[in-house]
Amino acid sequence: MAVASIGRKNVKWAFLLPALIYLMLMAILPLGWTLTLSFTKWHANIMPSPKWVGLDNYKYFLFENPRFWNALGFTSMYVGISVTGELILGLILAFLLSHKFKGRNFFRVIYLIPMACPPIAVAFLWRMMLHPDIGVINTILKSIGLSAVKWTTSVNMAPFTIIMVDIWEWTPFMFLALLAAFQSLPIELYQAAAVDGANSWQMFTHITLPLIAPVIVTISLIRAIDAFKLFELVFGITGAGPGSATESLSFYVYVIGMKWFKLGRGSSISLLFLIILLIFAITLISRFKKVRTG
Amino acid sequence: MKKWIFIPIIVVVVAVVLVYFFIIRVPKEEIVEVEVAEVDLSATITVLVTDPHIQVVDTWKPIWEAQTGGTIDVVLVPYATLEEKMWIEFRTKTGSFDIACVPVTWLGEVFGGGHVENLEPYIEKYGYPDWDDVMPGVQRITQWMGETMALPYDGDNHMTYYRKDALEVPEYQKRFKDKFGYSYQVPPANWSEVRDIAEFFNKWDWDKDGEIEYGVAFIAAQNSQAMWSFMDVCAQYTTIAGTPSNYTSNIFFDTDTMEPLCKSPGWVEAMTRIQELTKFAPPGLLGYGFSELRQAFVSGNSAIAFDWGDIGIQEQKPIEYGSKVKGLLGYGPLPGAKKYFDRETNKWVEKQHTVNFLNFGGWVWIIPKAAPQKDTAYHFGIYMTNPEHSLLDVCGIHGYTGANPWRWSHFKTTEAWVRGGWGEESVKAYLKAISDILQDPNAVPDLMIPGTPEYYTGAGSSLDVHLNAVLSGKISPEEGCERIYKDWVRITDEKGFEEQKAFYRSSLGLE
Repeated sequence: MAVASIGRKNVKWAFLLPALIYLMLMAILPLGWTLTLSFTKWHANIMPSPKWVGLDNYKYFLFENPRFWNALGFTSMYVGISVTGELILGLILAFLLSHKFKGRNFFRVIYLIPMACPPIAVAFLWRMMLHPDIGVINTILKSIGLSAVKWTTSVNMAPFTIIMVDIWEWTPFMFLALLAAFQSLPIELYQAAAVDGANSWQMFTHITLPLIAPVIVTISLIRAIDAFKLFELVFGITGAGPGSATESLSFYVYVIGMKWFKLGRGSSISLLFLIILLIFAITLISRFKKVRTG
Repeated sequence: MKKWIFIPIIVVVVAVVLVYFFIIRVPKEEIVEVEVAEVDLSATITVLVTDPHIQVVDTWKPIWEAQTGGTIDVVLVPYATLEEKMWIEFRTKTGSFDIACVPVTWLGEVFGGGHVENLEPYIEKYGYPDWDDVMPGVQRITQWMGETMALPYDGDNHMTYYRKDALEVPEYQKRFKDKFGYSYQVPPANWSEVRDIAEFFNKWDWDKDGEIEYGVAFIAAQNSQAMWSFMDVCAQYTTIAGTPSNYTSNIFFDTDTMEPLCKSPGWVEAMTRIQELTKFAPPGLLGYGFSELRQAFVSGNSAIAFDWGDIGIQEQKPIEYGSKVKGLLGYGPLPGAKKYFDRETNKWVEKQHTVNFLNFGGWVWIIPKAAPQKDTAYHFGIYMTNPEHSLLDVCGIHGYTGANPWRWSHFKTTEAWVRGGWGEESVKAYLKAISDILQDPNAVPDLMIPGTPEYYTGAGSSLDVHLNAVLSGKISPEEGCERIYKDWVRITDEKGFEEQKAFYRSSLGLE
């Protein structure tokens, strides 16, 4: 009766309304507020209200601020190397552990531990292990006659230290997803290939890889987007140094917004970050789609 | 059930009771009764604090609660997030805390933005325990445009620590003279001597403990407090002591033009000197925040270090902090320089001199505008910081609290310090080094204007980032100074040129 009075056409809107209100409150409004703020100057610790400055904030980051480009450059390099490294290592581990051998389940569980740790805990754990003077890693290196490495204090080494820790932490994610993909592959294809005389390498490149390609695409994309938001490792291990050698975009946004309370600038760099991330994701997805359809 | 399992339980209970009575419990005669005032002291107040100041609050909280029937809720946050927590409260005004312990270097924006209570009316209404006992340098950091805005709690300045078993050994002194052609002073009188001493004592086992030692150590890690290590050097080459003016006791900006002094020859010289010192330091120096420095130095790895008063406290505690140098440390003021750049004549002046710098400035208690229990919070603040209680917090009896002496009376009562684990002679030298700086009427105040965290004291600040790039060898000292200069010009323009100039001149006591 009630449904009839509302009208069949409007019922769908009644059902959608809660979700729409939620979306409006949680996503659209904050995004709109951020967009508005990005055209203002608001040093929230000394200015009571924002002041309209138009496109000044965007101009500042894109044309006048080398630190923004440095952060973008480091973040891009970090994403490229760490995701590639994690994918390759995850693939090798998943391939090895998809075969039956004694203790396989033990290793499967062990490899998952890094991923289960909170990232900030991982950062401080590695910070102590990598400490140039008292860290356990340099102590081991010195005990076997090698010289200590400046893991976190060398401009050249520190970016790769962050990448190394990220690979340690997130390879298990790749491994887990790829292991599941390996185990879902139909055995008949391999039997048929064996009958045709294919060797292991040919089976891997011509059967396994094409079949798990969608999984590789998906998990690479997820990891890349997540890696782009790098913050905890930088905060905990290097503090973005030496200089700004390991300053990620997220860390720079945090400094501007939460340390200096420049909310206008913070909003504009956040939106730039979002746009870059969207372009990156859309490009990757469309390329992978082409690969898959091709 | 077997009877023997009760033995460890009994041992633990007895141990806890003994620890309580002999270590934790504050002797009764040193507790000051809370004075009855026209305010509800039984109210619940929330205290925002970071480590290691929690030690102080935790000590006085149960006694306050027992005396007043009140409740104290403690919000403990790490140093790295204290600033955010504070600013979120200032913006949202939710009354999430009533009183907070914060560093003075943030107060330019806190006071300038009008976020905290002016304490003058409170002092007038309720009084303050012995204001004249507070040292002049410490009084100055609690004030803004002539008004008291915070309660003093800590007297902070860098000082020199040196190993007596290195610098005072006649054989080493002779070898040093043979190598460098002169005798150094103990403690070193200037940064040139520090450089040579650091080179001389670098990378050999001069204390004969079977381990290699290094020349010099200081805070150098990014996102920590390396900026103040640089300012130790910078102050000496950039200005000369005197009543604050454009050309004396002034190291940050030209007071007339508000032009940053960052690329002045004094700054470049200091940047060059500190970069050179990294060659005579432990290999992990660039990873030394204040914790790492203190741990490394009291474990005996370097001949000289520069820090606040905290190394002295940790030196006395072999068990708690692994000190291997108890009784082996000497103390002194910061080294001076053999020359300074006189901006008035635009020339270097060759002259041995020392500038005392109120480095970091210390920690103070502030009461936010939106605090629900301001009066009770004020009373708890003065309860913790009265002469009797604050002495116990700074002298080592309450362990490492992060608070260093700041009242005249703290310097007069060596008996309490001896009970805190100090040697009689050590504490005299330690207190003299600190009081010489704090009672200097011409000591250079630290920067305290809006934007200070962005200029130089905060994580990711201009000085922090570019200094670290220089220390790691990524860029030259000249380039580092040039970059800092450009950033500072921009920050000043963004904050408002005239306002910044007025704030800066006021912070130096200029009209």
